[in-house]
Amino acid sequence: MTDEISNEALVQRFPGEPITHDNAAHYRGRLRRQLLVNRCDSCGAWHAPAKPICPDCWSSRVTPTSVSGNGTIFMAIFLHQGPPAEGVDYSTPYPVVTVELQEQAGLRITSTVVGASNADITIGAPVRLEWQERAGSPMPVFALRSAANA
Amino acid sequence: MPDSRNPMKDRVAIAGASTTGFIAKNLERSQTSLAAEACVDVIRKSGIDRSEIDGICGSYPTAAVMQSTLGIPELTWSGNPFIPLVDHIATAAAAIHAGLCNVVLVYHAAYRVSWNTGSALKDPFRRISTPGLSDPHPGPETMASSAGYTGWASRYMHEYGVSREDFGLVAMNSRRNAAQNPGAALREPMTMDDYLAARMIRWPLCLLDMDVAVDGADAFILTTADRARDLPLPPVLINAAVLGQDRHNEEDQTVSLRQHGQQVVIETLKAKGDFWLDDIDLYYPYDGFTPITLNWIENAGWCEPGMGGKFLREHWDDASSRVLINGRIPMNTHGGSLSEGGTQGSGHIREAVHQLQGLAGDRQVAGARRALLTIGGFFFNAQGLMLHTG
Repeated sequence: MTDEISNEALVQRFPGEPITHDNAAHYRGRLRRQLLVNRCDSCGAWHAPAKPICPDCWSSRVTPTSVSGNGTIFMAIFLHQGPPAEGVDYSTPYPVVTVELQEQAGLRITSTVVGASNADITIGAPVRLEWQERAGSPMPVFALRSAANA
Repeated sequence: MPDSRNPMKDRVAIAGASTTGFIAKNLERSQTSLAAEACVDVIRKSGIDRSEIDGICGSYPTAAVMQSTLGIPELTWSGNPFIPLVDHIATAAAAIHAGLCNVVLVYHAAYRVSWNTGSALKDPFRRISTPGLSDPHPGPETMASSAGYTGWASRYMHEYGVSREDFGLVAMNSRRNAAQNPGAALREPMTMDDYLAARMIRWPLCLLDMDVAVDGADAFILTTADRARDLPLPPVLINAAVLGQDRHNEEDQTVSLRQHGQQVVIETLKAKGDFWLDDIDLYYPYDGFTPITLNWIENAGWCEPGMGGKFLREHWDDASSRVLINGRIPMNTHGGSLSEGGTQGSGHIREAVHQLQGLAGDRQVAGARRALLTIGGFFFNAQGLMLHTG
């Protein structure tokens, strides 16, 4: 595709991220604000993080596929200290959550929650996908969604 | 699927164990220096000549560096497994049983490194020697490594409706036992109020929920049970050893608190070993993070899932201010990773060997003959070891 950047440029857009031939499409998706998770063309199972084959049926036909980004908080921790990162200020404990996506039981993505007070970031809370910028590149994050519009 | 086949059972022995003791500060010594001190001591105390050593097993420094440092003439086998240390013991024992070598020196140097302690960061030698320092630094938004234990601690509290005090009991037991261990890094008394007031690192875990970075080393001599019987120290027989993993071993993809490597370890030990909870005198659950310990207690079958804290309260010995299961089985007699120091399991194994050899000093458990060790965490490093005096 003409809009796809080179591997060299991709690594430069995400400094420090462990980009490989197996997950490069996921990072290219981030640049288009698409959250891509590998899905098997043969058996339909989703897998995260990206793997070169389908761990269920061993098909090598795995396709990075957009997920809805809807799910519920499965684990929630609050960092009182941590590595330096643009836009992260640990003076208020910084939430890190693992979200179980609605596409498949046990399919999970780890990121943060934006636009919510820490008291409301609880296990079981429904969330939706959001995007924010870090170091000039889009980063998938989550926002709480109320039960009414869940 | 656990397999009861265990041809190595009781055929390999730990003939000796030595330690430098541990300290929570930069000793301004190299990792090789610490390992060498423990190695020289264990070779002497085990009553072997260094020329008898034909296998070496450790992680840092490499086996080749340790061989040249100790002037060991020839090896027929060496291994550099990954931590924690049941990996080293199991690998060395398997090599002996298979006939690749006869006497293996196992060593482990715990070393304060510049990515997790300020004192090491200020040491220019450590800054340039720390393994992994040039690797990409993960951002905050990860459950990888230690953050994963914190994430699963949040699940533990959510699923079972328990409070942080349950984790605190693990830390208090370790600290109380460390008071009787002159080689432990942290020995001052700790109360539940101290625990609850400690600096929060990643909620729900505070500084006292995490192992303490230390300088120090342990070393072991392993050989055949027959050879060990001719040596001066009582042989400690390896009854069963296992390294357990579950398919979903990424920290944030682990299926649940009831399905990870620990369950594999427990079922396999029960299938391969000759004794179980009712028969043991010593219990060593890993405590790199306090929730790991509660999970081990529950998975081993001491109590139901989520009841680890209640179990510790019920088996708390008020006279000694520590855990004594059924009034007689102590837990982490040396003070564990939380108070002796973060030794990646080598401390648990060395202490069990010393207890079984009757060499544990003021903290000796009278008549200790069988020990159960459940080492490592959840994700890809759960391990188990059963040791006894035969």
